Amino acid sequence: MTRPDRREATQIRALHCALGQLSRVDGSAQFSLGDTSVLCGVYGPVDVKIYDEKIDRAHIEVKFRPDIGVPTTKDKWTESAVRQTFEQLILAQLHPRTLVQINIQVRQADGAVDAAAINAATMALVDAAIPLHSMVAAATCAVLESGEIVVDPNQEEADQARSIHTLAFENKTTEGPAYVDSRGDFTMDEYNRCYDLCATSAERVLAFMRSAIESKISKEAKLSTT
Amino acid sequence: MTDVRVVVPGDIIDTSISAEDGGEETTVLRLGPGLAQAGEEISASAAGVLHNKEETHQWWVVSNRRRYVAAEGEPVVGVVVGRHGEGYRVDIGSAQDALLPLLAFEGATRRNKPNLTIGAVVYARVVVANSVMDPEIECYNSNTGKSEGYGELTGGFMFKCSLGLARHLISAKAPVLNALGTQIPFETAVGVNGRVWINTESPETTVLVVNAIKNSEYLTAKQCRQMVKELLDKQ
Repeated sequence: MTRPDRREATQIRALHCALGQLSRVDGSAQFSLGDTSVLCGVYGPVDVKIYDEKIDRAHIEVKFRPDIGVPTTKDKWTESAVRQTFEQLILAQLHPRTLVQINIQVRQADGAVDAAAINAATMALVDAAIPLHSMVAAATCAVLESGEIVVDPNQEEADQARSIHTLAFENKTTEGPAYVDSRGDFTMDEYNRCYDLCATSAERVLAFMRSAIESKISKEAKLSTT
Repeated sequence: MTDVRVVVPGDIIDTSISAEDGGEETTVLRLGPGLAQAGEEISASAAGVLHNKEETHQWWVVSNRRRYVAAEGEPVVGVVVGRHGEGYRVDIGSAQDALLPLLAFEGATRRNKPNLTIGAVVYARVVVANSVMDPEIECYNSNTGKSEGYGELTGGFMFKCSLGLARHLISAKAPVLNALGTQIPFETAVGVNGRVWINTESPETTVLVVNAIKNSEYLTAKQCRQMVKELLDKQ
């Protein structure tokens, strides 16, 4: 069955990212999966409200704003899920009694928004040089009515899917994914196939992130030695 | 002796030492910024250029960032934002404001001490900096008792830049400062916290110097000199 944009079933859309475009935050990144585009700005470590202060670690806060309309319960859920993921990854013990704030703004939504948000957040945290245990990349799979599984669905495919699975993996060997979100009706077999496909796609995204970061840093390193 | 390569968070660093060093002895590795240890495994926690000094077994990652984390002994430029009985509260860009004791100036006594107003700019040295306490600074070197250039900075203009640019400026290798210095007399104080203070004869010249420094971050030495020349010609 051909997909609306004629991609292969396991093909992700064009990846694009830009680091450090915002001048007033400590780190920023824009990440795009095809037409889905998410911007993330990170502050940290900065001063924290007494209410949120933790004596042994930094307080992590995530703010997620959709492209259209005010944030709803669904967006609050995304905030909470992204926060739990990065609480595992940020080395918060290095900065007790401070705040790390991750601000995510969806610029354009065309499916796989959560995955793009996690990818943008990872790159923004790297741009801000917040100490991280590892980098994390997310990918989405949709199980269509026919039982066929497609990777990185756009909004049209996602609306017609029987279930959607977003998984994120670290660039270190670990026991499992860093983030899992599955919605809809699915069998364990379908989930396992999605798991494998997402793992492969996440690896590709990690390689892309690495090359983007390496090219930026090596360009800057050359300049400082001339 | 440096060995450079670009690392990203999560990369495992192979710090094994060659057998000729005496493989049976345990060697103490000194891990600098950007590296984290979990058991026997050492991995990068920041993206940047990995450096290694073999003689002293030091490893560290150089990465550019905008947010300052205070470290002992570093020179910083701060702005006074408050005053308590014991000292001043100074904004140095770290998560918590720094404490500057009232007597932390050269030759200060209870009867004879400087009186800083809110908004005053100071060049100070970080004395206490760790993750659990608010940073403390002093406007003289308490080990020698001399001011060594620290103290209040009067007049002039302070602007913010990235920590990498600040380190570059303070290392005196920056071509932009040399290019400007041959044409314009100016005073500057650079803090490793990403804040630079400039003082010249007129506001127009100050703006020119500030713009030149801000522009210079991603330029080669030749481009720097060209850029400074263009700014001066336009004046």
